[in-house]
Amino acid sequence: MISNAISLLIAIPLLGAVVSFFAGTKAKFVALIASLIPLALSLQMYLEFDKTSKIMQFVESYNWVPSIGVKYTVGVDGIGFPLVLLSTIVSLLVIIYSWGETKKPNQYFALLLLNEVGVLGVFTSLDFFLFYIFWEIVLIPMFFLIGSWGGPRKDYAAIKFFIYTHVASLVMLLAIFALYFTYQMPDGSRTFDMLTLLAATADKTIFPTNMLNIIFAGLLLGFLVKMPAFPFHTWLPDAHVEAPTAGSVVLAALLLKMGGYGLFRVILPMLPHVDKAFVTIIAIIAVISIVYGAFMALAQKDIKKLVAYSSVSHMGFVTLGAVAFTWMSVTGAMFQQFSHGIITCVLFMSAGTIQHVVGTRVIADLGGLADRMPKFAVIMMAGFMASLGLPGMSGFVAEFMVLTGSFATLPAYTMIVVFLSIVTTAAYHLWAMQKAMFGPILKKYMNVHEPHAYELFSMAMIIVLSLIFGLQPGLITDIMGTAATQVMQPVMTLTQMGVI
Amino acid sequence: MIPLELYILLASTMFTIGLYGLVTQKNGVKLMMCIELLLNSANINLVAFSAYQPNVNGQVFALFSIALAAAEAGVGFAILIALYRLYGTIDLDNIKAMRW
Amino acid sequence: MYADYAYLIVALPVLAFLLCLFLGWHLPRGGGFITVLATFGALIVSLGIFSETYPDKIIHQSMPWFADFNVGILIDPLALVMLLMVTFVVTLIHIYGNGYMNGDPGAARYFAEAALFSASMLGLVYADNLLQLFIFWELVGLCSYLLIGFWYRKPSAAAAAKKAFLTTRVGDVLFLAGIILLYNNLAGLNLALKPGEYLLQFPVIYAHLTQIAPDQLTLIALGLLGGAIGKSGQFPLHVWLPDAMEGPTTVSAMIHAATMVTAGVYLVARMFPLFYAAPYGLTAVAAVGAFTALFAATMGLTSFDIKRVLAFSTVSQLGFMMAGLGVGAAVGTFAVGVSIFHLIGHSFFKALLFLCAGSVIHAVNTNDMREMGGVGKYMKWTMYTMLIGSLSLAGFPLFTGFFSKDEIIVIAYEYGTLINFLPYIFLVLAAILTAIYTFRMWFSVFTGKERSDYAKHESPWVMLGPLVILAVFALGFGIAAQEDFYSYLDSNFEHYDLDFAELGVIGGHVLEGEHGAPAAEGEQGAAAAKGAAGEGEAGGEEGPGEPWYIQILPIIVAIGGILTAALFYWDKVKKFDPSQVTGEKDPIRKMLLKGYYQHEIMTGWFAETVVYGTALICNTIDIKLVDGWLNWLSAWVMGFAQHVRKVQTGIIQNYVTALVLGVVVLVVVITLAMEVGLV
Repeated sequence: MISNAISLLIAIPLLGAVVSFFAGTKAKFVALIASLIPLALSLQMYLEFDKTSKIMQFVESYNWVPSIGVKYTVGVDGIGFPLVLLSTIVSLLVIIYSWGETKKPNQYFALLLLNEVGVLGVFTSLDFFLFYIFWEIVLIPMFFLIGSWGGPRKDYAAIKFFIYTHVASLVMLLAIFALYFTYQMPDGSRTFDMLTLLAATADKTIFPTNMLNIIFAGLLLGFLVKMPAFPFHTWLPDAHVEAPTAGSVVLAALLLKMGGYGLFRVILPMLPHVDKAFVTIIAIIAVISIVYGAFMALAQKDIKKLVAYSSVSHMGFVTLGAVAFTWMSVTGAMFQQFSHGIITCVLFMSAGTIQHVVGTRVIADLGGLADRMPKFAVIMMAGFMASLGLPGMSGFVAEFMVLTGSFATLPAYTMIVVFLSIVTTAAYHLWAMQKAMFGPILKKYMNVHEPHAYELFSMAMIIVLSLIFGLQPGLITDIMGTAATQVMQPVMTLTQMGVI
Repeated sequence: MIPLELYILLASTMFTIGLYGLVTQKNGVKLMMCIELLLNSANINLVAFSAYQPNVNGQVFALFSIALAAAEAGVGFAILIALYRLYGTIDLDNIKAMRW
Repeated sequence: MYADYAYLIVALPVLAFLLCLFLGWHLPRGGGFITVLATFGALIVSLGIFSETYPDKIIHQSMPWFADFNVGILIDPLALVMLLMVTFVVTLIHIYGNGYMNGDPGAARYFAEAALFSASMLGLVYADNLLQLFIFWELVGLCSYLLIGFWYRKPSAAAAAKKAFLTTRVGDVLFLAGIILLYNNLAGLNLALKPGEYLLQFPVIYAHLTQIAPDQLTLIALGLLGGAIGKSGQFPLHVWLPDAMEGPTTVSAMIHAATMVTAGVYLVARMFPLFYAAPYGLTAVAAVGAFTALFAATMGLTSFDIKRVLAFSTVSQLGFMMAGLGVGAAVGTFAVGVSIFHLIGHSFFKALLFLCAGSVIHAVNTNDMREMGGVGKYMKWTMYTMLIGSLSLAGFPLFTGFFSKDEIIVIAYEYGTLINFLPYIFLVLAAILTAIYTFRMWFSVFTGKERSDYAKHESPWVMLGPLVILAVFALGFGIAAQEDFYSYLDSNFEHYDLDFAELGVIGGHVLEGEHGAPAAEGEQGAAAAKGAAGEGEAGGEEGPGEPWYIQILPIIVAIGGILTAALFYWDKVKKFDPSQVTGEKDPIRKMLLKGYYQHEIMTGWFAETVVYGTALICNTIDIKLVDGWLNWLSAWVMGFAQHVRKVQTGIIQNYVTALVLGVVVLVVVITLAMEVGLV
């Protein structure tokens, strides 16, 4: 048993970020090591993880600012741990994918590692104060990744990304403060402890429904913007289109998952205690996100924007599964988080590779690329198939579980709409594949060649992962299933769990 | 001994003249002169009050103030000369590179 | 002993897929022999299992997968005959493919995809639960996408592949909805499952059909039927099938004969108890099938592309199979035997026809029948094997197609006497057209003068060998196997815990008693086309059988159709010129030539206008409204700031004035406040 596993997990990339910032052109080696160690660590944690246990594991808790009740408390359960695993995997693969980065590589890799620090912190913090700090830390490296390595409209995109999500975070922060200042511990002190506060929201005498509704709405806004869900999604396509490939990958694979994580960790435990109208609202938002995202993707001319909107659509399944609130759908939604996290990597990497090999991402300008880069075409095809929900890959299992679970509680007509979107999803994926990769090779692309081996390698690894988790979902759904059972029940605090 | 009120009267008159100049004049040198008037009216006050008190704190402050005014005038006139070289004028209305 | 190795039936082709994919480039002929060996191995295992289980055993193996689901193998008579047929036909097609794809630079990719295709179909057939079936069902769709688009440099191939995938995807979504509905209904029953039992397993589904509400059953049945319609190319989702001809001919043969399209029929057969129990379930099946049979036959009549003729004929024959299952409302499980028999027979002669067509195309290098003619002089083997296939398809007496198709027509008649004659009428008309278009094709290709300059040589033996073997089966399978086949398949549902009489009551089938136990019927259906006579007896009140004119009508239909075709297209007896029968401007002719304007409606109107239009509208909304309000807000903030910043004039005099005024105001206010006594 590793002691302080989570602290190490957060500290090593942080140290790596500092070292690689001063490592000049050697930064990529530092980054590789600094992301390999957390991966090894998280795999070791996976082996040690008790899949049937409902208590928080690997918990560490230290006083930080005792006078205002802030603690450094970290720990993982079935909600957070799969995402920790996802973060370490994706961070490593992104660093491998970016191996050839030549523009200020020291800063580049430092920012990528800093990003890993942020997301790992979000997925493991059990203290709202700490949670919020990590939540905001994530914005900074991403802002610079977009702003310094981005495309032609990078300033607009970076600022839009920052302000949009930051405003939502501030609303969330207000809601956190509302929780903090309303609840008093038995000894009269106040606490930021996440589980304690969430457990307290069940108590109508402390949190009257009207008040809880407002707090709930604030938190929900913070998470839905991050997800992003339908009316709040417009920062995403801009950020994705302008971000460098690695930035896009991290953004889609990890940053969006923070919203989903918040949904499971914070929103679902409160859901039974707030106004029932919220269920309807969230379900509508989820369904619109799914369908609207799919149609939007169909209308895009830029392949990266297409992929960006497909993220909106796929993350809609997470919201849908969460709000349907059955064991099956919640497990499926958690799995969709994980599955989308890995699959979307290969989509963005494909878009990025096309961009730098061919020089354009406009679908109409591409054609017949499979002729010159057959290996890449196979991998991209596999990625697109995974994304459109082909059985055998992880996306299918997740969407199947979400749909099956949601069917039980949500009205049938919403499901019909969602089913129709599945066809649209297939349509835009295949359409993009056909236009970009198939058909006769265009004359101007006669000289394009296969991308670098490290790019192909990181994409192929993702396909392998998607296959592994598609064929043997139990590897990770066992953990999620326990967590889903837990989500359906009242929140237990760490003290009740007996871990501190 | 001259009554204190006269000093105060003198100082306020000088101050008002300086203020009036500051508000109405556009020429950089004139503005500098007006600022000198303002500073010196304050200095007169300091010295006058100090003379009517059993200590010299006010006069020390006046000395500080004069030194400050000298420094200020040095920097100010240097800026004005630079402006004149750049624009060929020290009419502040015509210097608006950093205004809307 | 073979049963322990049942997993190999899928595992071997999967292995071949991996080998060909990664190593095929270094092997001679793209590693085609690996694929052949793999499917042949699967055939051996299937035969071994057949020898062990025939006639009354089934094999069921299962292990947990995730959540409430399992993976498993269920080999009952229905699955076993399908396994045998698929492995057999696919092996022959792969052997043929070794010749056909020789020299193609993508041969390794072809054999990898073909192996995966075989594996998916085999996995589909012996899946023991609906989810697993769906997974392989989708993989079949994927492989068809890959294979149809095999020549991806051709834009039409890439487009056809996409169309096939998307069209079947529409059906798949309905199928998925059906599965989810079924799962939720079963889960709602809170069944006490024994260890090793899972909700979506077929035995479990069968056993609890009676507990599900009838209206839910109908919805589930319609969902599953939607899937079958998509996969089996039934109206209105048949549009992908003719376009699927863009792939290599071997692929067409695999898709049309052995693997993909039969999946839909197999699904309905597999879920027959559910369809039987669902009110209107079988009616819908019969309606779709009968209409498609006729509709596709009319299109087959007007195509000039030899592969498209065969494609429409496949659609039409699948319609026959569907209708055969649909009329099961009148004859019970006997219909499954009849329909699957046609499926098996059809797979032999349709594979044969496609491979013959491939042989012709290989030599002639065109698909257009208007440019062929007289090919028979140079390709004797191909001509005669294709003749056998055509006779079988047309339903000429004593050929396989005769036994299987006519049996469907006969039970459709029985359905007519009990319920509704429409399917019967449609099927008879379709049968006439089948004979006509089949021989239109045969005569135009092999007889007459050469209408273009083409290479005049016979195909190599690696291609002809499979043709001969298939021809033997197309000729003799029907007469040899019909009797045993019916009795074997009739026993299929006896292995499960279900009672057709009870299901029939739920489904509202007013049957005269005995149809709950139709096992005895097939045994009596011995005398060639007289299967229905036995059925009639089992049907009790019906009397001794159908009138004699119903029995011989199919024979008349087949021969009449062939003669009609000869009068139009065989130069030796030609009496009419087809182009003279109707005028050039005739709207019906034009409509037929255009394929009922399906392309215009489905692709032009629906896909490009409605769906893509919706997407564009969404895009506009997104830019103008959803993102627009945000940009509006930031523009407003910026605009406001533009006004506010004017306060900062940059003129020192203004600042001084403001400062002095501010001080004055402060002094006045404070003085007044002191006067009043506030401070």
